[in-house]
Amino acid sequence: MSAVGERLTFKARVRVALADPVLKVAIDRTTGNARTKRAAAIAAWPGFSAARDLGRDIKDHVIAHLDHYLIQFERNAKASGAKIHWACTGPEACDIVVGICRKAGARTVTRSKSMLGEEIGLPHALQEAGIERIETDLAEHIIQLAGDPPSHIVWPALHKTREQVAALFRDHHHNPGTLATIEAMVASARRELRGRFLTADVGISGANFLIADTGAVCTVTNEGNAELTTTPPRVHIVTAGIEKLVPSTAHAMVMLRLLVRSATGAELTQYTTFHCGPKRPGDLDGPAEFHIVLVDGGRTRMLAEGLAEMLRCIRCGACLNHCVVYRQIGGHAYGSTYPGPMGSVLTPMLEGLPRSKDLPHACTLNGQCQEVCPVAIPLPTLLRGWRDRLWRLGLESVSVRQGFALWRFLALRPALYRQASGLAVRMMSWFARDGWIARMPLASGWTRYRDLPRPPGRTFIAQYRRRMRRP
Amino acid sequence: MSDARSTILTAIRAALERRRGGPPMADETTIAAEAERLRARVDATRPDRLGGGPVNAFLKRLVSPAVAATAERVATLGDFPDTVRRYLTAHGLAGSVTLQPHPDLLALDWSEIETHGQPSLDEPVTVGLALGAIAETGTLVFHSGATSPTLFAFLPVHHIVAVEAGRIWSWLEDYADAFAGCAQPRNVNLITGPSGTTDIEGTLVRGAHGPGHLHVVLIGGAVPNSDVAGAPDYATLSERPMGADPPNNSSR
Repeated sequence: MSAVGERLTFKARVRVALADPVLKVAIDRTTGNARTKRAAAIAAWPGFSAARDLGRDIKDHVIAHLDHYLIQFERNAKASGAKIHWACTGPEACDIVVGICRKAGARTVTRSKSMLGEEIGLPHALQEAGIERIETDLAEHIIQLAGDPPSHIVWPALHKTREQVAALFRDHHHNPGTLATIEAMVASARRELRGRFLTADVGISGANFLIADTGAVCTVTNEGNAELTTTPPRVHIVTAGIEKLVPSTAHAMVMLRLLVRSATGAELTQYTTFHCGPKRPGDLDGPAEFHIVLVDGGRTRMLAEGLAEMLRCIRCGACLNHCVVYRQIGGHAYGSTYPGPMGSVLTPMLEGLPRSKDLPHACTLNGQCQEVCPVAIPLPTLLRGWRDRLWRLGLESVSVRQGFALWRFLALRPALYRQASGLAVRMMSWFARDGWIARMPLASGWTRYRDLPRPPGRTFIAQYRRRMRRP
Repeated sequence: MSDARSTILTAIRAALERRRGGPPMADETTIAAEAERLRARVDATRPDRLGGGPVNAFLKRLVSPAVAATAERVATLGDFPDTVRRYLTAHGLAGSVTLQPHPDLLALDWSEIETHGQPSLDEPVTVGLALGAIAETGTLVFHSGATSPTLFAFLPVHHIVAVEAGRIWSWLEDYADAFAGCAQPRNVNLITGPSGTTDIEGTLVRGAHGPGHLHVVLIGGAVPNSDVAGAPDYATLSERPMGADPPNNSSR
């Protein structure tokens, strides 16, 4: 996707990220804020656990009857005057969107952040078509100026510190002012984008939920940019994954409680809007045309190939904020649209396993992601599933296969295994200073970036035996 | 395009059939019953917010730091123009304000304030009337239409909104249920506080693309004890009965 993503291997991208001290500061500031606020919101909600089970069951219900709900949604959306388009792939979806823009004679489009838009490559497709794209979400505006891909699914500009944002606005904004505070930066972006809202020919948004029984599309924002993007232009285009359905508005409310608390720690986004069809007779504003592009983009394959649980995902980003790997390397190192745990499950399906075989390994299996997931997706299990498939398809590197062969050899010979592990534990202790190992042969891959804790003096089995011998 | 539609639906049905191990797909009645059973589980999962009744819960939530609106109460809608005038004075806002073209608002006496109809791109103040409100989250509800254009809630710097105390739903689902099966407006806008963003370092800043200030004037239901910029003293407010009486749903 990005220039960096195309050129370098995963390991090389990780090295770049780990060597960047500013990136670490940026990641810590936003993910730290997010974790603290989410924890407070969940602590204030005794029903969270039951709501989470319910959210999971609602999504599973929709997925089990996905054909039914898609047809119901299509029928109701059409009745409201919406035009429905279907796309099997990202390029097909882009062609549809560009086609609608061309037919509308569009020179400029405003766009409200949508991860699906990034997934299908819509920014690139619009550029190829010679249509000017104005990103209206603050973070998307920042990365559009910087020429970066998003690094987080909720905070696309998470990799930028406020100092970097100030420098960027100073270079690009017409009337940036002092930019001394984050408030001043937000005000500068508001001034810069204000005029663009009313003059755009087409407004493009994503969808947080598709409401089957009304045909409405739900979007959530805090800035108010979605409504300013979708209301003034003559044409509003929604791109939405086919998994975004919920049965009714009431069911959507349950999902909204889970989504917003998990994403930002707030209870509801400032602007939660249900868009249903084009401008009505008598309406004083709103688009004359309302298009919805329903995109498969690998979702039916997920359903067929054992990843149905991943279709529950509501893109809250909590798994990213709590992932020990994401918090070290940030989003760009993953080299894909979706980073972090949910990304490492999705990307092999969206971009092919051979191209993304490092991602299922970028995980410690500590289970944090599953614990915070508002729809209880078993992310570690799904990542292990990819590892299993990598092994069976013979896609693991020679060194990994040899390592496993050695381990298997030892594991099948318990006495030898105990001797070898006992020796290793003792040897590791020789390299430790004050309880930590800063350098050790064969461990540079770990110790280059952090110390290794000194292991206990004896192996588990040795300690277990000693305890059992005691009266 | 219709090709893509049938390709997608065929792929879904094939995958679901394999998952179910073959039996035919459920009929609409079975699916609806299952959805209803899920809906029935919602109430037990909701955060407990309604102590003190929906009106007080709404106001408390509205002025909490998380929502960050300001609020006051007046006895009748007829008091609204005077409230707006005092708000303008308190905030040093001179000049004309935009008035949402709702007949109930247009019928009021605005002789002391200059008003106009169309909000500009950087409109300082719009004055509006919400369809209702939701107590749980401190949310205002707007349905787009001839008397409630969408942009009135998004273009101004200050948005002053009247809402009637008798039109407060307790929970998000109560609002949804009230309009279940009804024709939907083009836009339903649920508005919870002034606009904001956390896009720079996760820090919440108010006043992004939408209004920077949201002032709610609650009409009726209690003795007014208004103070333009601050929160009323909730302890002294009379309590209204809890949820059981949903607002009437005649569309506004």
